[in-house]
This record gives sequence, structure tokens and C-alpha cells, in this order.
Amino acid sequence: MILRIIIDVFIAAGFIFALAGTKGVIQMPDTYCRMQASTCITTLGVLGVVIGAALYAFCIMGSPATGIKVVVIGLLVITINPVGAHAIAKGAYRHGIRPEKEMEIDDFRRDFDE
Amino acid sequence: MPKTKFPAVVSTFILCFAFWLLLTWSLDTQELIAGAIVSLVAALFCARFFIHDKAFWFFRPARLGALIAYVFVFLGELIKANVDVARRCFSGCTDVNPGIVKVPVDLKHDYAEAMLANSITLTPGTITLDIAEQEGKTYYYIHWIDVAELDRDKAGEIIKGRMEKWIRRIWQ
Repeated sequence: MILRIIIDVFIAAGFIFALAGTKGVIQMPDTYCRMQASTCITTLGVLGVVIGAALYAFCIMGSPATGIKVVVIGLLVITINPVGAHAIAKGAYRHGIRPEKEMEIDDFRRDFDE
Repeated sequence: MPKTKFPAVVSTFILCFAFWLLLTWSLDTQELIAGAIVSLVAALFCARFFIHDKAFWFFRPARLGALIAYVFVFLGELIKANVDVARRCFSGCTDVNPGIVKVPVDLKHDYAEAMLANSITLTPGTITLDIAEQEGKTYYYIHWIDVAELDRDKAGEIIKGRMEKWIRRIWQ
């Protein structure tokens, strides 16, 4: 019973962070800030759900194979996500996408964009 | 194209085989033989892309311990940053002050630089755009959702936090 409550807490925390990230993706003012908000979904959102699901598979379902697969999904999301994020952010900047409001400090433009 | 080295093949094989065991979760003889063959072929083809340097770098208690400790250090930073960004999202998304700062990084190893860049990107609120090398020094261009500090060195201290110190301990 206590275990069940712990699992529910993890999954609920994952949902809350995923909700925050989704709200940010919709409402943030420019491309880069939207990407920042989406990182919330892929880190704690995914981690919370993965930990909850893995505990459920190991302890309640009694099926280690399922639990391991869930953990592998979590690890892959965590390791591969930043590679894509670099590429998207840099590609967007090189393509000429700029925030509407001037940024406070912009060293990338100072160094690469004459 | 780099040449395939024997230690690299061995360590890639071990990793592939461990993955196979975890995913199949059975000790049946047929499964083991099939897994060994598939892992060996995969290791022969991929070892030279997968491992460039020393294949058994982590087989030392100090480095392995630092790596495990780093996971917890990183989780702490992750939770702090996540709560911060989630709070900004729930409070109407107007509380942002974005900017791109150029931050100096003092790490020797290529892997360490990649690891720090990925850790920074994975922390909500900061994304590494690019890594530049100028006059023997390494700099990251980091998009920061809330520019709290205009001085580059101090901004770097805030963004990197304790992560850089621990990564240096892993890759020394």
C-alpha cells in the first residue's frame, strides 16, 4: 500500500512537470525559451514517470524484463535529448530566427554575425 | 577512418552483451549464443566509432566512484533548475530575460567537454548552442533563460555550478 502511494507520487510529479513544460511550449515568447520549457518535459517529466513505472513493474507486476525496458527507455531519452537540442537551437540561430524582443546579452551574434 | 583496436572491441562487446542480457532477461543457451554472435558482429563494426581513446578508462575505483557521485550531483542541479523553470511556466511565462552568454570552460578532455555541454543542455533554463576554441581556450555559447549576471566568468560559475568540478574529477 505504501509502495503504491510512492509510485503514484512519482508519476504525479512527472505529470506536473510535463504540464508545466507543455504550458511553457505554448506560451513562451520566443523559439529558444520554448525549447527551454520543453526540457522540463524530457528531464523530470520523463524521469518521474519512468521511476514510477519501473517500481510498479519490479515490485507489483513482478516482471523484471518490463522494468528493465522502462529503465532503458528513460536512459535513452536522457542521453539522446541534449544532442538534438544543441542541433535544433544552433540550426535555428544560424537560420536567422531571432527573438522579437532584443536579448539582454548576445555573444553569439557579436562573434559570428557581422 | 580510425583503426579498430582490440580493447575497444572487447569493451563494446561487453556493453552490447550486457544490453542483450538485460533486454531478453533469460539465461537460455540459445539466447546466449545468439546474443554473443550479434554483439560480436556489432562490436567489430562499431568499436572504432564508439570508443576512440582508452577503452577501459572507467575500470578504476576513483573514476567510477566520481561518475556515480556525479549522477547524484547532476540530479540535484536538475531538480533545482526544473522547479525554477516550472515556476516560471506556471506564473504566466512573462518572467523571462533571455540572452546568450559566452562562458569559459577549463577541461582538458574532449569527452569531458561533451559531457558538460550535454549536462548544461539537459538542465532546463540553459542550452549550449556551440563550442568554440580560441587561443587554446574553450568557450561555450549558452542560451540562458534568465540572465542574472552580465560578467562572463561569474555567469559561468552560476550556470556550471558544481558540475564542472565533478566532471574534471572523472576525466583527469
